[in-house]
Amino acid sequence: MRRYIRSVETLYAKSPFNLIYEHIQKGNEAVHKLEDLVQAFCDKDVDRVNAISDVVSDLEHDADQIKQGVRERLPTSVLIPLSRQDVLTFLRLQDSIPDSARDVAKSMTLREAYDIPTDLKESFMKLAKKTIEIIDEYEKLVDKMGPILATSFRDRDVEKALELIPPVERLEHEIDILGLEIGKKIYASEDQIGAVGIYHFNDVIQNMSEISNAAARAADSLRTMIYPK
Amino acid sequence: MLEMLLGLSLFSIVGLIAAFYMAWNIGANDLANSMGDVVGAKALTMRQVIILAGIMNFLGAVLLGSRVTSTIGKGIIPISDMDPHMAALGALSALIAAGIWVTIATYFNLPVSTSHSIVGAMLGFGLVSVIMGNIQMGDISWKVLLQIAFGWVLSPVAGMVLGYLIFSAVRLSFIERAENIGKLEGVFRYLLICSSCYQAFSFGSNDVANAIGPVSVVMGTLGEEVPIGLLVFGGIGIVIGLSTWGYRVIYTIGEKITELTPTRGFSADIACASTVIMCSSLGLPVSTTHVLVGATIGVGLARGLQAVNLNVIRNIVYSWLLTVPVATVVAMVVYLGLIWLGL
Repeated sequence: MRRYIRSVETLYAKSPFNLIYEHIQKGNEAVHKLEDLVQAFCDKDVDRVNAISDVVSDLEHDADQIKQGVRERLPTSVLIPLSRQDVLTFLRLQDSIPDSARDVAKSMTLREAYDIPTDLKESFMKLAKKTIEIIDEYEKLVDKMGPILATSFRDRDVEKALELIPPVERLEHEIDILGLEIGKKIYASEDQIGAVGIYHFNDVIQNMSEISNAAARAADSLRTMIYPK
Repeated sequence: MLEMLLGLSLFSIVGLIAAFYMAWNIGANDLANSMGDVVGAKALTMRQVIILAGIMNFLGAVLLGSRVTSTIGKGIIPISDMDPHMAALGALSALIAAGIWVTIATYFNLPVSTSHSIVGAMLGFGLVSVIMGNIQMGDISWKVLLQIAFGWVLSPVAGMVLGYLIFSAVRLSFIERAENIGKLEGVFRYLLICSSCYQAFSFGSNDVANAIGPVSVVMGTLGEEVPIGLLVFGGIGIVIGLSTWGYRVIYTIGEKITELTPTRGFSADIACASTVIMCSSLGLPVSTTHVLVGATIGVGLARGLQAVNLNVIRNIVYSWLLTVPVATVVAMVVYLGLIWLGL
């Protein structure tokens, strides 16, 4: 039966912003799997690497779906308190986080297990933990969108969010340095892991560095997005 | 009571029924739409809203409803120059036509406004009168119609500008300075009750005319002053509409607009109500719902809402383009039909 109702409810479109939090939650969940994944990789536990990789891949797929949802909620006819273009750019950059996490997992499954020197293992684990740390920091930043929207971009809330960006950028810098160190260690380990091992391990590390790069770029675009105009 | 009713002509009785139906419609939809925020913010319960909005709307109708009623009753069609019987029949046709169109349009979710319907229908009544040779084409107050049309375009824009300004002012003077936003919204929850009352009052002052403007012509009681009894009658009809059906609309809106926090709802209410009161004072029948939409968009432009669907603007334009001609044609058909029946 039709509702015999005239209402202005259609005026209120679905907010794309709740989905943006959901999207980074999926991304964060995927990145958090890296610790176990690196452990399994270093332990040469191929089954476990494959299993975790599947989970990460599913999370990346979920994030993709949510990203699609955000786009669907942003037709040009919807008025939002931010530049639509800024939001879409930000979303694209944030989406690189789950994408890169999946790339790390996938690249680990490509090659048979091989012995990795203890020193390299430790640095590798450190990189994974730092990557998790940067994503946790990044998520805190995205969470600040809630209060910002709730107070209609009150200066104080915008500033609080902007203050959370430098820590993300600092971590990204630290991860860069760590990546470089690991790179050196990889080349120094030719005797143990062989030339193909160097190639493969480098690939994994590159992919993992991409996660922090993505977080830093997304944080930067969030700054552009919310910066007082 | 019975004697009083028996004293009324059949026309008057049918007219009152049709007017009551229009009033019921206004209460069930237009007034209800404006009360979603106060229920959504949990500032008032449904029962409290119905009682408060009912009283305030009733007061608006009785105290400030006569100007727009005069515009609709005698401002468009020169009824005093017409045969009273033909005038009564025409106004009755307009009322029935507007009621029919509002019902159909609501049923099919078409954009519609009671104000546009009744103005279009009165125009239909006038056009038939011209065809019948009862008045000249030039006797229809095209100037008033033009003013009304301007009002239809300008009132949502005015609501939007005011909504933007008022919410920006609230943001700068309260939200920016508040130590605790939760507390501030708590205070505004009470102000939201006041602003909702103001809004209900303003809606009464403008919308009641859509129901009783024509019936005052039917009853031949539209002299210098609109009889208070009719304003009361219209006010009661709106309140009954709100309480018997409007709560559905209030619930739908209230659930949907949790984002319209007290500071935002308050700003939209004040902007909308002030615009409507202004129009009522000028005797302009406007779509209160369109003004509400304009005010809400204004709050959204001041970064008060996370996502506003601007397609609604298209619906407003459609309702101008669709409702007026359709209501005009339906009124013409009804009027000619009644004349043909020998009434």
